[in-house]
Amino acid sequence: MFAKEFLRDINKTSLLQCIVFLLAMCLFFALNSSAFISPINLCNILTASSVIGLMAVGATFVIASGCIDLAAASIMALSSVTCAWAAQNLHYDGLALVGIAVATGALCGLTSGFLINFTKAPSFIITLGMLSISRALAFILTGGIPIYGLEERVTKIAEMQWFGLSLPALIMLGGMLVGYLLLTRTRFGAHSLLLGDSQAASEAMGLRVPLLRLAIFVLAGCFSGLAGFIFMARTNSGDPSAGMNYELTVITAVVLGGANLFGGRATIFGTLAGVLCLGVLQNGLNLMAISTFYQTLFIGIVLILASLLRRFGPNNG
Amino acid sequence: MAELKLRAVKKMFGATTVLQDISVEFAGGTVTSIVGDNGAGKSTLCKTIAGVYHPDKGEIELGDLKLTHLGPHETREAGIEMIYQDLALAKQHDVISNLYFGREKTRFGFLDQKAMTENAQAVLETMGTKLPSLTKPVGLLSGGQQQAVAIARALLFSPRVLIMDEPTAALAAREIEHTLDLIKRLKERGLIVILISHRLNDVFAVSDRIIVLRSGMIVADKSVHETSMQEVVAQIMSA
Repeated sequence: MFAKEFLRDINKTSLLQCIVFLLAMCLFFALNSSAFISPINLCNILTASSVIGLMAVGATFVIASGCIDLAAASIMALSSVTCAWAAQNLHYDGLALVGIAVATGALCGLTSGFLINFTKAPSFIITLGMLSISRALAFILTGGIPIYGLEERVTKIAEMQWFGLSLPALIMLGGMLVGYLLLTRTRFGAHSLLLGDSQAASEAMGLRVPLLRLAIFVLAGCFSGLAGFIFMARTNSGDPSAGMNYELTVITAVVLGGANLFGGRATIFGTLAGVLCLGVLQNGLNLMAISTFYQTLFIGIVLILASLLRRFGPNNG
Repeated sequence: MAELKLRAVKKMFGATTVLQDISVEFAGGTVTSIVGDNGAGKSTLCKTIAGVYHPDKGEIELGDLKLTHLGPHETREAGIEMIYQDLALAKQHDVISNLYFGREKTRFGFLDQKAMTENAQAVLETMGTKLPSLTKPVGLLSGGQQQAVAIARALLFSPRVLIMDEPTAALAAREIEHTLDLIKRLKERGLIVILISHRLNDVFAVSDRIIVLRSGMIVADKSVHETSMQEVVAQIMSA
């Protein structure tokens, strides 16, 4: 099932270029650092990519539908703060914390979706507003000071391992699987892509566009919330400044994986490849002890190169 | 038997009255053409029937079902399909996705691609339509092929009413002939076919009845045998 879908996605999108690019980077870093190719490091890449990866699943639906979500990272930060607050003050743990984080994200997504429908303003503007509001709420709730010192039973979640993979990495892969099934196997996913392809046609064909858009933003909010939970567990804190500028990284990962920034075309395989591209790049540069200033420079150059590569692909859009 | 009825339908956009007191009935197994100058209200009338717009006054009924306040989804469920002038296709999507646009088949909550593909192939064969590939993005098909997809989509769920907005406007001569043949066959199947067209040759070739709209009002409603092209042109143009 996956192999067939994967081959179809390669044919339909710029996924092939993204994978070639990913493999080329892996080869380059493997030649330059013996530690890169070790299983532990490869698992580390997945773990380090878990927060971005989860947000990217939600962003895939938003971008597929022709919208953009600039608030994803701020919602993630707010969720991590509410989650940490509940862990510290209410002594919640496990699924209850996941529920709080996801509910926080869903509420923010619901607000974004409602405002986009109600005002008919571009999603760019509304989510830019939500970016500020969510981040501000996170700072107000904490007084600007991160919530530290969470109980061990909360933070040990990030250290759990199954099949050699950390729980955050497994949750990200699970999120990707859920996203994949939703996008390719359900009416919701099909309608998200159709909406992004042509809103006018979607309306003419009777899709309930406002409701659909609302559901898409709620879903994206849920994934941001879940990412917030992972962030809290991994850093042992609820940090209001968490994930500054991650929103652009998330969008970059989705578009790098072959999604059309203007909607209508996106795949979860592509998003995973895009997330891994960014994860591998960051990890490889760290192993080569490149300073963070240069890392930012390299990431910018690599992204532009990757975009140029797409021009030579079967679907250069 | 009159199946589709409009009674005193009025539609306004802001202060502008686009449709005024439209009362008309359409019978099954007939082709009715709606003609008129640009801005006469032809497309608005058809979109109002299709549920895209809601009338400000008046009633629309299909058989015993009141359509007046239904949206496009419900009117499609009721058996009214419209082929839009721009075809309303998702150009990055393949033929199957466009054929089942908004009405995808599911099995246990998941899309049933196999059933959709088999059914789509059967419908396209019935129509005599040959497409290079069902998995090709529709935007890469020719104008005629894209229109065939839009028509096939409209026929996929056996509609009772088919509204076609300028179906021959962007087609080559051979494709026009094919489309007009198809309209005749649909009429024989007992559908209510409503055709909007500027091409009077096409209108006279397939219609049983011609309605002339001017400034949102019906100024003529005649059997095609009781009128002529010159008369229709005069009714469209006369101030």
